Amino acid sequence: MKSKTTSHIPFTLGLPAIIWQIVFFYLPLLFIIVSSILKVSESGMIQGITLKKIFLFLSPVYLGVIGSSLLLALSNATLCLLIGYPIAYFLSFTSSRFKSFFLFLLIVPFWTNFLLHVYAWFFVLEKEGFLNNLLRFLGIIDQPIHFLNSLFAIMVMMVYYYLPFMILPIYSSLERLDRRLIEASLDLGGSWSHTFRRILLPLTLSGVRGGFFLVYIPSFAEFAIPELMGGDKQMFVGSVVSHYILGEQTGSLGAAFTVVSSIALLISVVVLFLLINKIMKRVRA
Amino acid sequence: MRSIKLTNLTKSKHGSRIIDKVNLTIPSGKFFALLGPSGCGKTTLLRLMAGLETADGGKIYLGDRDITDLPINERPINMVFQSYALFPHLDVFDNIAYSLKIKKLPKLVIEQKVFKILESFHLVDHIHKLPSQLSGGQQQRVALARAIVSEPDVLLLDEPLAALDFKLRERMLIELIELQDKLKTTFVYVTHDQFEALTVADQMAIMNHNGDIEQIGTPKEIYEFPISSFVAKFVGTTNIFSGELLHLDTNPTIHIPDLGDFSIDLPQKKSWMKEGNHVAMSIRPEKIFITKKEVKNFSNHMTGFVQSIVYHGRSTQYNILLKNNLRIQVFEQNEEHFPQEVIDYDNEVNLYWQKENVVMLEK
Repeated sequence: MKSKTTSHIPFTLGLPAIIWQIVFFYLPLLFIIVSSILKVSESGMIQGITLKKIFLFLSPVYLGVIGSSLLLALSNATLCLLIGYPIAYFLSFTSSRFKSFFLFLLIVPFWTNFLLHVYAWFFVLEKEGFLNNLLRFLGIIDQPIHFLNSLFAIMVMMVYYYLPFMILPIYSSLERLDRRLIEASLDLGGSWSHTFRRILLPLTLSGVRGGFFLVYIPSFAEFAIPELMGGDKQMFVGSVVSHYILGEQTGSLGAAFTVVSSIALLISVVVLFLLINKIMKRVRA
Repeated sequence: MRSIKLTNLTKSKHGSRIIDKVNLTIPSGKFFALLGPSGCGKTTLLRLMAGLETADGGKIYLGDRDITDLPINERPINMVFQSYALFPHLDVFDNIAYSLKIKKLPKLVIEQKVFKILESFHLVDHIHKLPSQLSGGQQQRVALARAIVSEPDVLLLDEPLAALDFKLRERMLIELIELQDKLKTTFVYVTHDQFEALTVADQMAIMNHNGDIEQIGTPKEIYEFPISSFVAKFVGTTNIFSGELLHLDTNPTIHIPDLGDFSIDLPQKKSWMKEGNHVAMSIRPEKIFITKKEVKNFSNHMTGFVQSIVYHGRSTQYNILLKNNLRIQVFEQNEEHFPQEVIDYDNEVNLYWQKENVVMLEK
């Protein structure tokens, strides 16, 4: 009998969080899904169910927006992985006394407001900014380059902002790795690249996968960075959703586009998951 | 040639010298044990041979070849790690085939070699299991198989049996000896356990706390003729008496205060063996004959009181208090169910030994 009463404790402890999650996440989600397929008259009366709004967004223009968001998320996650893995490796394997200081540096950006980061990057990237001045000083360019309001500016800001989300899971999976496995691989005649492919990468795959999707999924719906750094040249899912949701009388259209793009995201995640597994098999062979 | 020669090998870590100018030759095709207390640097020495650490000074030769600067993955030397370090994501077959696949051998050859070794290690039934599904003894075998399948010139073993229970350890020791005998690969076995070292070694070296090698020899030489009190005390148990050398020319004796004079045998003259010098005398507990009766034909005799008795099964250990308040150990074989003479607590006993069974040590 005693075990029965104790088994309630985890549930009881989790209850506030569960209620919070239901009220502020699952109910709104349900509301979005329902409102995306409801047919509402101009006077606000519910007249039945329709897929008209959903089909509206299957046009080439909107699919293009979804496509470019997927591409943005994919390139951001890939860049973060390529830059983040070596950093995580360094952090985990360094015997430096400054190891915890380096980790601290990684967390510091989270202490300042996101908008401040954006403004800081304005100073770096603008016409008379740090980067242009540096390039001119080094004699690489004569005329300042328009860095702002471009895909380049978006990518720089995206990678900058999301990099820690990639590094931390990879770092923690590297920390769990038994160093003697690497020694054993080298001892048995494996080169460094062989050891990386056959031992290091497979055993840190959970961290790589975790980091990848931790960056990929929010990047897809990223709204602020493309708006602020890209001007109005590029349209992404986030901008379209906010445009409709905040617009007058177009809330249900926003809901419908959210549903369509969420489905696209879900499919892409499944495809990427399978693709990563396939790549891993090839890497290990 | 599969011998290993270390000359003036030096290694520091975190500012302190762990290995200081070590010279050591490990003969080709022999089972060599490196015995030393925990933290004496014997594992570091092994890692230097493997190439897992780089030396600060000195040279390492494999046969005539200088391998000091040869990268770890190019050395024909493999290692069995204390924790086995089996690849957790690969099954038994892939773990063992790891080095063969690196060598890019044909698939058929790899399979043949792996199956052959699996059979001799009784692991065929476990071929597709992951390391986590194996028992400690089986993991040990896989680690061993993985290290020898590519036929290295030298196999390094870093306390490989430390995690196994006593019975299994005893069996694995015998299997290791048989394996080495079959392969004729040079085995270098690092341990802090004198029982393991004495069991397996053709040749062994004793390292002291400073990382210096005190003595090299066969297990019998080391056990019977230790050259220092450290070796005498570390390998096996012994009783150490300190005293003064007398009558070296006529009748060599040692004078031990409060106990008397005892005759000794000095087959080899050493520089410190001088009249009046203070020296140490080591007698192994099993070299002393304990009885309550008076016995003739022994060159030395002393008396003491039984302080405690420890029954070990095959032998009984008596802790004897001597007149000078020194406590010594004496072993007696339990040859019979009911010994003819019963020695009990607080009995006064006679202790006899032959002068040839004593080792004199520098103090």
